[in-house]
Amino acid sequence: MADLTLITANKNYCLWPLPAWLCLKVAGLNFDEIVIPFSDPDACARFERHTPTGSVPALKHGDLTLWDSIAICEYVAELAPEADLWPDDRSVRAVARAIAADIHSFSGGHRAERPSIDVGTVMPTNIRQRTNAITVPDDIQTVFDRNTKFWRECRLKYASDGPYLFGRFSIADAMSAPFVNRFVTYNVPLGDIEADYRDTMRAHPYIKEYIALAEEEPWFHPYSDRPFI
Amino acid sequence: MADITFITANKNYSLWTLPVWLCLKVADLDFDEVTIPFSDPDARVRFDDLSPTGSVPALKHGDVTIWDSAAICEYIAELAPEAGLWPDDRSARAMARSVVADITSFSGAHWSAVEFVSVGAFMPTNVRQRTEPLDVPANIQKIFDRSTKIWRDCRTTYGVNGPFLFGRFSIADAMSAPLVNRFVTYNVPLDPIAAAYRDALRAHPDILEYVALAEAESWRHEPSERPFA
Repeated sequence: MADLTLITANKNYCLWPLPAWLCLKVAGLNFDEIVIPFSDPDACARFERHTPTGSVPALKHGDLTLWDSIAICEYVAELAPEADLWPDDRSVRAVARAIAADIHSFSGGHRAERPSIDVGTVMPTNIRQRTNAITVPDDIQTVFDRNTKFWRECRLKYASDGPYLFGRFSIADAMSAPFVNRFVTYNVPLGDIEADYRDTMRAHPYIKEYIALAEEEPWFHPYSDRPFI
Repeated sequence: MADITFITANKNYSLWTLPVWLCLKVADLDFDEVTIPFSDPDARVRFDDLSPTGSVPALKHGDVTIWDSAAICEYIAELAPEAGLWPDDRSARAMARSVVADITSFSGAHWSAVEFVSVGAFMPTNVRQRTEPLDVPANIQKIFDRSTKIWRDCRTTYGVNGPFLFGRFSIADAMSAPLVNRFVTYNVPLDPIAAAYRDALRAHPDILEYVALAEAESWRHEPSERPFA
């Protein structure tokens, strides 16, 4: 049994297990997983039993249970400083944290005022699905444009020594990964720089492993698997 | 002219100006302030001009402009390590980061989950106003209960060496401060531990100064001044 336990929902349908899972992998840390699928009728009760606020992902380490993707990624960076999960330069690290925080604030669907524009409702996470390109509502397109603008700027300005947002893989990439997957599922058209970044991310060995695990999951969630036109 | 410029909306009506301002003060860093009141008809354009995403608060330091409250607070903690803006102990620090991330996810106006009234619409930030206790909708009460539970847990488990969430003042307190002010404005009833914490924060000298500055502001934002029954 590992010291660390990651408590999450299932990989195929859940937006947020991926960043924490990726950071643990990249950091080379051993961990057990407790996966509570959304389709479990007791999912909420089980989330609440395992975590202080009922939020997943959560990370248990000895007596400590942390929650929230950003906080978990920060903790993994502290546990494994040699994995260099943040850029070395202080100013660049600050920009990377701003992008990670921005993704956390804007891209998760929280910003929606109406269900019609909630990203998670219109384009639910569904890693194994592929749709034709769908008409993206303007409000959602604004969120996508915000993401892709960061990707372009980072790739142009900070990434001279590697294929990721800040060159070397960082928490900013881990936080971007769920959106890369969403762009693939829904076949969202991207500019050249963003499309390259998407492809680089999808070729990352741990992202490939995660996708394979998601594709194999037995659970089925009718809402997320509804037909898209 | 200071090295650091803090770009923000006006203090009385803005939720997120306070955490960054507080961290700068507690860290004893010199900074200039550019205040763009919400009532300025060009506010949106001026935000876009000064901040990479049009988000305020933003912090300019030399060539780099950082945005997002949590990311800016992290940066200040790195600029002034002697201020001890995070708890010293790694586990306590991880928990403090979970608290901060939870606040950014749940306690702002973001969590307007579809059919619900958002906190920011129902109880707009208005530092100088006082209302009678309101009939709080269940979804908003749930967010408040989440925050006060976190406060109780922190005060009980980590807060023995001081009056704040982790004893000594930390970024978790800075991020909680806007919510404390909202509880005061709208006269929200609190349990004894949460009430004692609210009073401790309101007595913090830098918060006293901020509240005084907010009260002295000349701008008036009618939508936030609606009469409350």
